[in-house]
Amino acid sequence: MREFDYRYIYRYLPEILPFLGVTFLTVIASVVLGIALGFILAVGKLGKNKIGRFLANGYTTILRCTPSIVLLFVVYYGLPELMMGLFRIDINDIEKGIFVVLTFSLLFAATMSEVMRSAYESVDRGQLEAAVSVGMTPLQAFYRIILPQAFYVALPNFGNSVIALLKDGAVGFTIGFIDVMGKTNLIVSLNYGAHSREIYLGLALVYWIISMVLEYVMKSAEKSLGKGRRILKTN
Amino acid sequence: MIEVKNVHKSFGKNEILKGVDLKVEKGDVVVILGPSGSGKTTLLRCINFLEKADQGELLFKGESYHFQHASKKDILNIRKKTAFVFQNYNLFSNKTALENVTEGLIIARKVSKDKAVEIAKECLNKVGLADKYDSYPSQLSGGQQQRVGIARAIAVNPDVILFDEPTSALDPELIGEVLSVMKLLAKEGTTMIVVTHEMSFAEDVASKVVFMDGGVVVEEGTPKEIFCNPKMDRTKQFLRRIIRNYDYSI
Amino acid sequence: MSFNFEFFYQTFFTAFRGLPVTLKLTAFSLLISLPLGFLFAVIRLKERSKVKNLVSVYISFVRGTPIVVQILVIYSLIPSIMASIFKGLDIKMNVFDINPMLYAYIVFSLNTVALLSEVFRSALATVEKGQLEAAQAAGLTTFQGYRRIVIPQAMVAALPNICTVTTNLIKSTSLAFLMTVKDITAVAKVEAAYGYNYIEAYIVIWIIYIIICSLVEILFKLVEKRMKVYKRALVS
Repeated sequence: MREFDYRYIYRYLPEILPFLGVTFLTVIASVVLGIALGFILAVGKLGKNKIGRFLANGYTTILRCTPSIVLLFVVYYGLPELMMGLFRIDINDIEKGIFVVLTFSLLFAATMSEVMRSAYESVDRGQLEAAVSVGMTPLQAFYRIILPQAFYVALPNFGNSVIALLKDGAVGFTIGFIDVMGKTNLIVSLNYGAHSREIYLGLALVYWIISMVLEYVMKSAEKSLGKGRRILKTN
Repeated sequence: MIEVKNVHKSFGKNEILKGVDLKVEKGDVVVILGPSGSGKTTLLRCINFLEKADQGELLFKGESYHFQHASKKDILNIRKKTAFVFQNYNLFSNKTALENVTEGLIIARKVSKDKAVEIAKECLNKVGLADKYDSYPSQLSGGQQQRVGIARAIAVNPDVILFDEPTSALDPELIGEVLSVMKLLAKEGTTMIVVTHEMSFAEDVASKVVFMDGGVVVEEGTPKEIFCNPKMDRTKQFLRRIIRNYDYSI
Repeated sequence: MSFNFEFFYQTFFTAFRGLPVTLKLTAFSLLISLPLGFLFAVIRLKERSKVKNLVSVYISFVRGTPIVVQILVIYSLIPSIMASIFKGLDIKMNVFDINPMLYAYIVFSLNTVALLSEVFRSALATVEKGQLEAAQAAGLTTFQGYRRIVIPQAMVAALPNICTVTTNLIKSTSLAFLMTVKDITAVAKVEAAYGYNYIEAYIVIWIIYIIICSLVEILFKLVEKRMKVYKRALVS
């Protein structure tokens, strides 16, 4: 077997890195859509409607037990069939990225609904009571008092979920999606598997650095948004 | 029986104990008073090595130890002859009241399980918790938890019991039950070193009162001497703030 | 749209052939990772040491890279390492004859160890310092205090997170097919390719995973209930 050649780790980097843009775009799209759907689910979970609660919780439970690659395949093979059967629309030629974004939006929504729900529940009931006693409408109370506090509680979980999403999204290459992972795989197969060790390791380093940067950004965001917040120091 | 000589302890740049001496004879009930930050809790915790003092000597039943050099074996031995009652009880939350009391006996002192249970039941009865053997700490009130803590301490038959503000974390109505147990122990001749704010305890049962401030012992004496005839201004100042209508006569 | 129900039922039973592989991978990785993860957590809680830094770097790497990438790295790296070992020790075995399950075991164990050590580390931190102090004050050695008081309490705190790690592990094993391991996904893919019945095949896998994960969660909840006995406060 060939010797491990360090130079190959960064030799292909210039070819791979541009595709980080694709990766980030998918992440951002999935996050946005996921938050939107997640919010609706969270509302469902916290609402008084039993059916709504059942559906929302059911959705979360099912998706939490679903491997991302399985959902990806189901969406990739299933959605075109569904669209064809129901609407007679042929979507077989659309961008693979759409399937990826769709899959991960669905998954992210499940996570987000939990994050939002627990953040909302963690805010003391007394805050709402005080707000309405002062004369605010429940809606005002929600936006001015509850939401900001819930937001701060949710932040660390949100950050972790985004980083997890970034990593999870790498399986997109299995349906031929060309993001940074897909491009790497492409290069390896074009080279008949030569230097695969070095190239994959290089990719790992790329992800590692991005994760660490994201973690740092999240921590700084938490710190700066946490100003004016007393941390209870227990003796 | 116990003598602490010239103990110093700093936390980072803060020197909390600046050379403290303390002498405790068998049967003494020593109450340590003082404002917060005076070092009284730290002093107590240094005695059974929950804090490692930077300097000083400990004379315990004829054996001499240096705080900063004490070996693990020495520390273990000292802990086997002492008992500590914590401000926030620190009951083992995954054990029942009975198990809390037997733990030190069975594991640390190799007492047989049957004998340990017997002793534990006696001690729990003594503190008035005969019906709570199998309750978990989460099922007990603060006062009950602290009494279990005291039972845990007396079960091991220590040479001295160290109390760190035993009633400070309790609701006012529950303080009384804990103090009565402590007074009972004092009257039976248990050697106790108590850090507390409860003046009634100091008045009623203390054999010696030690007033600490700023990391040093300011004054010490019998309760009568300290409460009625304080010599130092700092003592007078402290007493005036703590006791209303400071016009004292025991 | 036609949904081939017959194929659906058939594939269900064939897919179960891949189940033992999935379960073996999960069980083995868990069994190795629980003690090792705990060991690493303890190492990280102690003061500075070279070992601690190494461990921290390792954990950071595992947590910062996608499992897919870890799989591909190990799958491309280990064979060449094994080949050099074989050459060096003069073992007459072809690297390509090695059961790919070995690589799967390696990847998933390495991954789970890192994740579990984080779980244990934060679980140990939730136990009040006063518990250990009380144990020491009662005369127990530090080791006894940890074994009898701190660790049991930490375990209860860790349990929900261990459940999450386990379900994530089960889901991650769906990628084992990339290493030519015959797990559920691989079997289903093969079946699907015969008649182009992809949707049915993947929905079958989907349902199987949901069943497995749900069972695991129920199991953990039961264990948690039993261990949490001491936490139930009396409602007066």
